[in-house]
Amino acid sequence: MQKAVGGLFDVLAGIPSIVVGLYGFSVAIFRHHHFSDRLGPCLLISALSLGVLVLPYIVRSTQTALQELPLPMRNTATALGATRLQNITYVLIPNALAGIGSGVILAIGRCAEDTAVILLTGVVATAGVPSSLLAQYEALPFYIYYISSQYANPAELSNGYGACLVLLAICSILFIVAHGMQKRLYHWALYRR
Amino acid sequence: MSTQLKKKIIFDGVNFFYGQRQVLCDISTTFYSHTLTAITGPSGQGKSTMLALLNCMWDDIPHARCAGDIQILLGGQWISPLGKGISLAHLRRKVAMIFQEPNPLPMSINKNMAFPLKIAGVRDKHLIEQKVCAALEQAGLWAEVKDRLDESALNLSGGQKQRLCIARALILEPEILLCDEPTSSLDSQAARVIEELLVSLKKNCALLVVSHDLAQVRRIGDQIMTLAKGVLTGWCE
Repeated sequence: MQKAVGGLFDVLAGIPSIVVGLYGFSVAIFRHHHFSDRLGPCLLISALSLGVLVLPYIVRSTQTALQELPLPMRNTATALGATRLQNITYVLIPNALAGIGSGVILAIGRCAEDTAVILLTGVVATAGVPSSLLAQYEALPFYIYYISSQYANPAELSNGYGACLVLLAICSILFIVAHGMQKRLYHWALYRR
Repeated sequence: MSTQLKKKIIFDGVNFFYGQRQVLCDISTTFYSHTLTAITGPSGQGKSTMLALLNCMWDDIPHARCAGDIQILLGGQWISPLGKGISLAHLRRKVAMIFQEPNPLPMSINKNMAFPLKIAGVRDKHLIEQKVCAALEQAGLWAEVKDRLDESALNLSGGQKQRLCIARALILEPEILLCDEPTSSLDSQAARVIEELLVSLKKNCALLVVSHDLAQVRRIGDQIMTLAKGVLTGWCE
């Protein structure tokens, strides 16, 4: 069972993002046909598709982080009378936070830069900020893709480069915040009195 | 000895196998309360396995199986750790184990000590503080760590770590304490401190101590048991 699920996630990790985008697009079409004409590609579908895309990264990094914990640490809580769930909650996960956090950071980065998935599931070049989860939206990676392929003058191309820098800055800030949170969370989980 | 002390653990024809390999062969013996039993013998002869049987730490080992019967007197009732339907959590809280390598969890000294109480469902902070203090005093560690309870337990010396592990095991007031070569990774001075501590714990519980050190076995053991090739070859009181 464990091997089968592991294999499934490996297959999922190997699927190109455009295929995941097509899957999201199919879901949007299904909703459009069977529920309401107003429902189509939107922020929610994009978020779910990106979730499917990065799930294997998070699962694998969590699995690896837990497996790398030394055997004495796994046995300590058990020998003290902890149930399996208590062992996982109070000992294993707090001690594997660094590895799990790295997986989450990687996943955030993957979501931030992905264009293929959102291209098919709800992004629109001039939609602006979405009004709800069911609305279409504008996203920096798609704006960069759009402006660099459709620019009419050098100024528009410069806007595209500017957007690239903004995206890089946002990703860097996210990584720094996530790294800081990871350290604080580890200390909070293991040393808070 | 058997006339003065209550029986605590009874092994009755116990055989243990890792797959096809038999590790314990027809072990039948009795251990008594308020007694320190030293178990000795060459490596790989089943000493640690014998301890693991008492608090079911062999449960997750693939292809391991046990035949025969073990009875333990806990809270005035005889229970079998091999029987189905027993609460492993309850058993392990009353039959505590100290490992060869000191294994404090990578958290503060205070959190290490409070951990068994937390998983046992104790939430009263005042009670937890009292018990932490009492257990550390019992292990002779309070004076050394009382001002650094929030520091990482990993910063302690080897001997202090092992005493912390003993204190942590004592906090739930176990009736049996299993010690698997508790001094083998320590220097002689730290080992002597642990020996004295273990001897002093006899008044509270029954102790089973696995050791290769024959001099140590003679110093601390009320009963000495020798295992060779999974067979009980020697027994003296």
